[in-house]
Amino acid sequence: MNKEGESFKRLIEEFSRVGRVLFTGGLNNSHSGNLSVRLGDRVVITRRGAMLGELSADDLVDVGLIEDDSGIALASTEVKVHRAVFAATSHLAIVHTHPRTATALSMGRDFLVPVDDEGRYYFKRIPVLAVRASIGSDDLERELPAMLKDYPIVMVRGHGAFAVGGNLEEGLQITHALEWSCDILLRCLALGMTEEDLMDDRTHGEW
Amino acid sequence: MTKDWNALNIDLSSGTVERETLSCEYVRRFIGGRGLGAALIAPYATEGVDPLDGSVPLVLAAGPLTAAGIPSGDRFSLSTISPLTGTVMDTNSGGRLGRSLRRAGSDLMIISGVSADPVVLVVEDDEVRLEGALDLWGCTVSETILRLTERWGKTAGMSVIGPAGENGVRYASIMTERMRAMGRGGAGAVMGSKNLKAMVVIGSGKVPVHDKERLKVVLEESNRWLRAHPVTSKALPALGTPMLVKICTRAGIFPLRNFQSVAVGEDQAYTGEELAKRFTVSSSGCTGCYIQCGRVTEAEGSRGEGPEYESLWALGPDLGIEDLAKIIPAAHRCNELGMDTISAGGTLACAMELAQRDVRPSTVRFGEAGSIMKVLEDIAYRRGEGDEMAEGSLIMARNAGAQEYAMQVKGMELPGYDPRGAQGQGLAYATSNRGGCHLRGGYLIAREILGIPKKVHGTQVLGKGGHVARAQDFGAVADSLSVCRFATFALAPEYWSRMLHAVTGWELGGEDLIRTGERIITLERILNLEMGVGPDSDRLPPRFTNEPLTEGACTGEVVHLDDLLAEYYAHREWPGGIPSENKIKELGLDE
Repeated sequence: MNKEGESFKRLIEEFSRVGRVLFTGGLNNSHSGNLSVRLGDRVVITRRGAMLGELSADDLVDVGLIEDDSGIALASTEVKVHRAVFAATSHLAIVHTHPRTATALSMGRDFLVPVDDEGRYYFKRIPVLAVRASIGSDDLERELPAMLKDYPIVMVRGHGAFAVGGNLEEGLQITHALEWSCDILLRCLALGMTEEDLMDDRTHGEW
Repeated sequence: MTKDWNALNIDLSSGTVERETLSCEYVRRFIGGRGLGAALIAPYATEGVDPLDGSVPLVLAAGPLTAAGIPSGDRFSLSTISPLTGTVMDTNSGGRLGRSLRRAGSDLMIISGVSADPVVLVVEDDEVRLEGALDLWGCTVSETILRLTERWGKTAGMSVIGPAGENGVRYASIMTERMRAMGRGGAGAVMGSKNLKAMVVIGSGKVPVHDKERLKVVLEESNRWLRAHPVTSKALPALGTPMLVKICTRAGIFPLRNFQSVAVGEDQAYTGEELAKRFTVSSSGCTGCYIQCGRVTEAEGSRGEGPEYESLWALGPDLGIEDLAKIIPAAHRCNELGMDTISAGGTLACAMELAQRDVRPSTVRFGEAGSIMKVLEDIAYRRGEGDEMAEGSLIMARNAGAQEYAMQVKGMELPGYDPRGAQGQGLAYATSNRGGCHLRGGYLIAREILGIPKKVHGTQVLGKGGHVARAQDFGAVADSLSVCRFATFALAPEYWSRMLHAVTGWELGGEDLIRTGERIITLERILNLEMGVGPDSDRLPPRFTNEPLTEGACTGEVVHLDDLLAEYYAHREWPGGIPSENKIKELGLDE
């Protein structure tokens, strides 16, 4: 991949802009999370341990979609999960974050169901995937792609969110919307409302 | 519900009709509509085939959602081999024909052979027959529709051809009632070559729905999105597709004078706003559609449907004509003659540039609206210069030894978006299976200009291979479900998956649909390869790759086609532009 051209500069700008919003929005801590896009039979992914709030050209690594090459040595620990999702779906971008409220709520639920109108507009429900080991794991590589065929975002219990889309901004948008909805749900519960009270539209959960 | 599909096999040569059943499993692999059409056309896709000699059938197929009460979902497809491009092609339309066919108990018609005399094909519930149409032969589209309506009533589904189809114009369209067009690729000429003037379908039954309660829930959600999205709820109903004139001008991609330059500034006289203010009589739309993107307009005594954005551009600024009062009657006339406005305009623009450069003499000149109506007539009746123009811009320019001035891909004239400011659209033109088309190539303008679902920079090159592939695949899904592309602006694949499940019981998730779209695109590619249309034809006119834009928001840009193609082929697993054996096997196309 030519890293000198105007087109690559635009790609870095997109990674950088999205990474900065994720960090400043509290969706990742300083060195967590990762981003990727698919380019033909290549995947451009953030470097292992990169600060998403401060991305530059050196923080982007390209690796084969199927074949391993030297880029794999630098890529995010989650690279095999990203590759599996790209190989199994038509998505072109993945945003992986560690949103606090959604992660907390994922501990006791199989689905997160937004109760606010905007959240319900974007999502009918968000599935929670429970695997024994989640970070860069074979379980995640095996099970996550199938779930991302039916949902634009999936929570991994105790770990974080994987969002997909046509580009990184799309993944950013739904990740933020998820965390916002979970925050509202948490506040409603803290105010003493029950989930049964909040679920006035039962058809929603059947989506 | 796993309902098998009912096909009518109609042989126009012998006048016989046979009924056939296609298994649900077979149909589901291609969804219906366009996908099923490609599968059924496959045996005829051989090198040297002439779609106008009667050997190739017309496959008219509804989609699985047609007539089920889906928003913008009552369309139908017509598939054949294009007399303009020599590729596999499909075209589709709203209107009542597909809905009526399913209500008559059939899902598709395979129409083969050539009738000795002009006929109308009539399907009236269980009864199928051919009726003589000598009295209709030579009639314009509205005359034909009027006479058929007098006989069959306003609720019958009707598709007809005009003089252009009768006379074998290679970009003749098929018009459905109320002037909706199956415009691109010349299906009207195929219909004319069969001496088939019209199809009339009347159906009084109902289409079964697998899970009505579930459908109600999904439709409620879907309609919320359609009502909320600014494009489907506001822009298209208010201005129709000409809303794009200002938007594309600002983006620096609105072409002028055969793509020699682009429009700059805000004060054009031919915007969607001007059309709405000065010439629009009412809005209109397809049967059962919420969006109502069509316009009825009137100018200089001519009243009719359109012009859409593409027609307005092709018969206006692309010819150097900026007066809507001149553009509107030309668009209406193309509809009456049954002729694709984009290819007609593109061919005229090419003739004008050839004359401008003293390469080929012509009766038409940029900016001179006076001769346009006569030339359109001459094309439809193949008179004088019109006879050569009826072959399309590529053949005309090639005859003059100046192919580079034909703004086409695979022989199909390009629509109104300069690809130098929309690289993805350039790749889409180059790789479209039916030639230089914004719809079959993937409507990248949605992403690159309108930001649907999210903005992808128009001049960005990296990443566009995947965007184009995904847009093509989803487009193939929409055409095979037989739903409107505009509805897909607001509704993601998951919504269509849930609608499809509620109506048919088929378990196909959003990604399964996209994968089916990939199967359809790849099948079409294979059929094109079998007809000798290969990677060498995935090219753009040299103007776009060699001549940078000199004005507007995209000054200095050319299309980086080689880089775009490399990424696209890699994404699709088409090394060198040819689907790999692994990919063919993975998609189940090796059977």
